[in-house]
Amino acid sequence: MSTHSYKKFEDSDSGALPDKMTVYQECLQAFNASPVQAKRCRLLLSRLLRLLYAGETFPRVEATNMFFSISKLFHHNDASLRQLVYLATKELCAISDDILMATASIMKDIQNGEIVYKPNAVRTLARVLDGTTIHAAERAMRNCVVDKNPNVSSAALVSSYHLLPVAKDVVKRWTNETQEAITSNKSFPDSQYSTHEHYGNNKLLSTTYTYQYHALGLLYQLRNHDKMALMKMIQQFDSQPLRSSLATVQLIRYVGQLIEEDGDLTQPLWRFFPVWLKNKSDMVELEAAKTILSLPKFTSDQQMQAIGTLQVLLSVPRTVTRFAAVRILNRIAMKNPQKIMVCNIELEGMINDSNRSVSTYAITTLLKTGNSENVDRLVKTISGFMDDISDEFKIIVIDAIRTLSLKFPEKHKSMLNFLNDVLRDEGGFVFKNAIIEAIFDISKFIPSSRELALEMLCEFIEDCEYTELAVRVLHLLGDEGPKTSNPTLYIRHIYNRVVLENSIVRSSAVIALSKFALIGDESITKSIKVLLERCLQDVDDEVRDRAALSLKLLSTKDIEQAKNFITPTFKYSLPILEQQLSLYVKSNDKSSFEYPFDIKTIPTMTEEEAKTAEFKEKTTVYDESSIHVDSSKKDKEEKLNESTKEAMLQQQYSHDFAAIPEIAAYGTLLHSSVAVELTEKETEFVVTAVKHIFENHVVIQYNIENTLTDIQLEDVSVVSLPEVDDYSEEFLMPIDVLKPQTKGSIYVSFTRPESIETSSFTNTLSYTSKDIDPSTGEPADEEEGFPDEYQIEDLSITPGDFIIPSFTGNFTLAWDDLDNEESAVFNLGDVPSGGLQEVVDRLIKTLSMMACESTDIVSASASHVLKLYGKSIHGEKIAAIIRLAASSKGIMMKNQVRSSDANLSELVANHIE
Amino acid sequence: MGNIFSSIFGKLWGINKDIRILILGLDGAGKTTILYKLQMGEVVKTKPTIGFNVETLTYKNISINMWDLGGQTSIRPYWRCYYANTAAVIFVVDSTDKERIDVAKKELHMMLKEEELTESALLVFANKQDQPGALTAAEVSKALGLVDLKDRSWSIVASSAIKGEGLTEGLDWLIDVIKEEQM
Repeated sequence: MSTHSYKKFEDSDSGALPDKMTVYQECLQAFNASPVQAKRCRLLLSRLLRLLYAGETFPRVEATNMFFSISKLFHHNDASLRQLVYLATKELCAISDDILMATASIMKDIQNGEIVYKPNAVRTLARVLDGTTIHAAERAMRNCVVDKNPNVSSAALVSSYHLLPVAKDVVKRWTNETQEAITSNKSFPDSQYSTHEHYGNNKLLSTTYTYQYHALGLLYQLRNHDKMALMKMIQQFDSQPLRSSLATVQLIRYVGQLIEEDGDLTQPLWRFFPVWLKNKSDMVELEAAKTILSLPKFTSDQQMQAIGTLQVLLSVPRTVTRFAAVRILNRIAMKNPQKIMVCNIELEGMINDSNRSVSTYAITTLLKTGNSENVDRLVKTISGFMDDISDEFKIIVIDAIRTLSLKFPEKHKSMLNFLNDVLRDEGGFVFKNAIIEAIFDISKFIPSSRELALEMLCEFIEDCEYTELAVRVLHLLGDEGPKTSNPTLYIRHIYNRVVLENSIVRSSAVIALSKFALIGDESITKSIKVLLERCLQDVDDEVRDRAALSLKLLSTKDIEQAKNFITPTFKYSLPILEQQLSLYVKSNDKSSFEYPFDIKTIPTMTEEEAKTAEFKEKTTVYDESSIHVDSSKKDKEEKLNESTKEAMLQQQYSHDFAAIPEIAAYGTLLHSSVAVELTEKETEFVVTAVKHIFENHVVIQYNIENTLTDIQLEDVSVVSLPEVDDYSEEFLMPIDVLKPQTKGSIYVSFTRPESIETSSFTNTLSYTSKDIDPSTGEPADEEEGFPDEYQIEDLSITPGDFIIPSFTGNFTLAWDDLDNEESAVFNLGDVPSGGLQEVVDRLIKTLSMMACESTDIVSASASHVLKLYGKSIHGEKIAAIIRLAASSKGIMMKNQVRSSDANLSELVANHIE
Repeated sequence: MGNIFSSIFGKLWGINKDIRILILGLDGAGKTTILYKLQMGEVVKTKPTIGFNVETLTYKNISINMWDLGGQTSIRPYWRCYYANTAAVIFVVDSTDKERIDVAKKELHMMLKEEELTESALLVFANKQDQPGALTAAEVSKALGLVDLKDRSWSIVASSAIKGEGLTEGLDWLIDVIKEEQM
């Protein structure tokens, strides 16, 4: 080895790793020497560890050699050497064979070794043990778990946790010891340092109680299969609260999980929370508040207590705590802005917080809680502020503004002005894109803002550095411009692009221009044609092609046909188109390529439907993200595409039905309901039902899951009896064989009366059950089985099954347009635990209508007005205003329904679940 | 004082490194019991050794590293990892276990063939003499085929680890041989 390389890694600051082979050779030599030089071995071991910690590894043979050499160091009793031996052995366990050879030596140290390396020994033992040798170590591990030294106890607890996958049944027997560790009071042994003058008054901690955290984690793993045992575990902390903040935070998370799985436990477990909310540790208070506010079943009183705690935390000097508190409040603000109004004074004070992240959150939170009075002022404050914050936070602010303007349509003017101002600022693509998105949304969903928004966008593209944004804006101008009162204004702006921009922008400008030609004004059409003819001289062929195509279409006599091409009134559903195309391309069957891909199989959406879906997506994403902040990313992605998923599901149903000739004959599927549960989720057979509405028929799809492991069902059918004679059964498609733990579907078809008619169906599941022979997984041949029946809940056909939610930009206008008003008053009985929100959510779901003007979010606890809009499967419009008032006598509900179909409004008004 | 003496003697005999002795034998022969009887002078309760025990003991002012390797079938292959620099091997036989004496013989001869052990002395303990039906030292010697060993200093001693009989005699012989060879 050269001196050069030797020196290089001697210098720990250089950051260079020692040479692997040199270290290997030197280690083997030194460890096998006699007598052992403890100091040199320590140095070499630390070098080896540095390699291993840096991610270096050795081939198996070499690692095993190294392992055996290191094991020879056990005969030297130097405590610091032993400690390093353990660290190295622990790392080598993963890459070396025959690690069990160290077992006896480690066990000896655990039983009567020095305290310095005992915890290391315990942790190494956990890596060495396997399913067969763990029994030999059981006694020792148990003793360590209850050791009075907190380090040893912690090491043993964490090691047990790691041994769970190795031998769960063995570790389970240590539950009592773990339980003992959690409640014990351990402290570090008196150390000479604690009285050392250097430390003076600053005495070392005598204990940290961290072992409680480790013990709790292990105990939870041992018990989490059994809800009762978990409850018992949690209840013991009633009399003996945990002292470690980490352990308490963990406990709160466990409690939170329990409540999430079973909402009924919310109130029984509530009694722990007040103490947590007044804990001396910030993190415990934060965790408790977060849990209360993110789970649905806490009462608003309880939520207010949590918010009270957060309010106090907003003014502590610790920045991290302030940040965490304001972040939680920000989440709540998305869903329940009125709840955190109490914190407004504190939040206002934080606008000028020295930490920009804290101040940004404070402002966006305030924006969300904003009422129409203070919104203007907040927007003004924030404009003075935008220059100081990074793009990332600017985007958060823009998002908040966007939500706010959808919430307060009448404030759109100041919002747009603000957006326009920031649009002029310097900023990256993502930031500009967020602003453009916000302006798009405002112009789409607030009709009265359209002209102002378009004007701003026109100005923007005059000087836009991002091609992509310019193209999007031009497309929007082409769509919306012709609908405005003064379309010529936009033509100039668009044509400017044709003169000044690159070819991509030019070609989209050509398309946008041609849309103006269809307004029907002769002079405009003429000028557009002149402009398009000029485009024929363009240097780029795409621009020329588009101009030529548009001119050709405009010159045809049939103006309707031109309209279909230039401004189609429907869109293809893109996710489904993508799915179908990839299916087509991936198909293994060569014959399928003989026919071209059929675009007609892709469902189309009218503009209005697309808008509905988009609006739903935009508003639901907000709600979901506020509740499920903790759930994994994958989860979130699924949520994002919820409306897409719905469309896919509908597509799936149609696809399934196309394969069943009897049902295919019924024509197109008009509407499918969401799945209704007809049994409890924990029963032997889980049944859900989906109602499919066709022109003259109703098909009920019963999805049945056999959750048993040893019973096979045969000839499964549902006896479904309608209450009303208007429905008569046509046919039934049973399941022949339903194997254990599989799912299947039964279809029952009924003819349905022409008009919309509600009815309930009583359902009975009938089947022949056979025992499964565990050896073959099949029922025995001679087994005849016995017929049985299983009562499941009734299913109702409700008016909601005939209604499709749809969006209206102006509910008041839509309401005034409709007649056939019907109204009804009901008493819904006691207020459910989720309050009025639960009632509202259920109403939206059962009536299958879209909530307008953000009325799907309940802001007051005593009363609420819900505005709903939808269309029947025949295209009849329907609007409903539902007033809810909660009092001691229960919830009173007053329905006012108007529809273009008198029958429909009567049915909806009088429908109640 | 002991340290000074041992270092003086060490120089005298030219021994300036630790003496390394392995204790080998089938499982349940009493290796661990012998180790701790020699080190602490008392009988400890033992469990089957998974791996090895190593103790340093001072005997007649000589410091000895005693390695007691586990005797279970699964562990025997790893004995060879510890053969290097070994001054002597103590092979322990359970004199009452007549069925497995052939296995012991096989393991013993296989071990002695190893190159790293050609210089090492061999001491056999015919252990568990306190038990009824135990073979005598001569019978064990015959069963193990010790007389066939050439070019090696060996000895067999009847012992009872529990009673502490025979252990010191055996060790005395071993130390003498080692001293002689080192000189």
